[in-house]
Amino acid sequence: MEENSQQDEFQRDILIYFSIIAMMGLIILISHLQLKVWGIFLIVSIACVEAGILAYYFMHLMTKKKTVHLVLLLTVVVFLSLLFWPAWDVAYSPRTHSEFTTF
Amino acid sequence: MQETEFIPYIVKPREDTGLYNAKFGIWLFLASEVMLFGSLFSAYILLRVGSFTWPVQSDLQNVPVGAINSVILLSSSIFFIRAWVALKADDIAKYKKFMYLVILFAFMFLGLKGFEYYQHFSHGEFPKTSVFMALYFLLTGLHALHIIGGILVNSYYAGPGMYLRARDKQWFINRVEVAGLYWHFVDLVWIFLFSTLYLL
Repeated sequence: MEENSQQDEFQRDILIYFSIIAMMGLIILISHLQLKVWGIFLIVSIACVEAGILAYYFMHLMTKKKTVHLVLLLTVVVFLSLLFWPAWDVAYSPRTHSEFTTF
Repeated sequence: MQETEFIPYIVKPREDTGLYNAKFGIWLFLASEVMLFGSLFSAYILLRVGSFTWPVQSDLQNVPVGAINSVILLSSSIFFIRAWVALKADDIAKYKKFMYLVILFAFMFLGLKGFEYYQHFSHGEFPKTSVFMALYFLLTGLHALHIIGGILVNSYYAGPGMYLRARDKQWFINRVEVAGLYWHFVDLVWIFLFSTLYLL
């Protein structure tokens, strides 16, 4: 019984493995299509899905306790706040030419 | 008297959190890692948004090598899962075999990363060359340090650390599980690094 369940889990992991590789191939393809802003949006979205699947199955987030979800939720909220605060500031503050980053 | 008898919750989960000590600890550590890499990704986004010009990253990067490295790291994650399952099933030979594969693939990853760095240096691309190259070397270098840390921990559990299993089997299984969570996280970070620094 346990052996069957382990076999099922192994098959699931292999399926996830190939799904993530396929998604990786997809984002490489999208990067060649020169979609500009839409390309960036798609690539980041697919990368988030890839990472989410990896965390959900390989890191067993699906069976984790509330405590872990709470720790992660708090981390994400703090991180996004810290990210968008300066992003908002950059977007809405008037700047002179010299204040832009030069490559 | 064994440690398991006087340190609570190192094998059995706490009733309130539902987690044993090491697992709770590793999730808190991973949360701090999210903040660390997150702040660097934020720096990347803000510097890129705030610049007039930005290089076409895929022209500067070796995308095929980066893609191969992604597959290598993902494969090592699968091997880690197999190793942990084998350990739970008391199949030590299989556990060691998969752990050595994890370590081998980690070295392959570092080898290819080193090759990429060599290519950059031979083209005169250094961290001081541009904002993008500085961010690239910082982020991938930090990630490589995490890989090295993972290799050290995994090598310990595959080799000299095996004596811990004799003290308490379940405790050892828990330790390996925690090391695995870290390893998957390192893989997860690479997914974002590859997408951000090679393809955008």
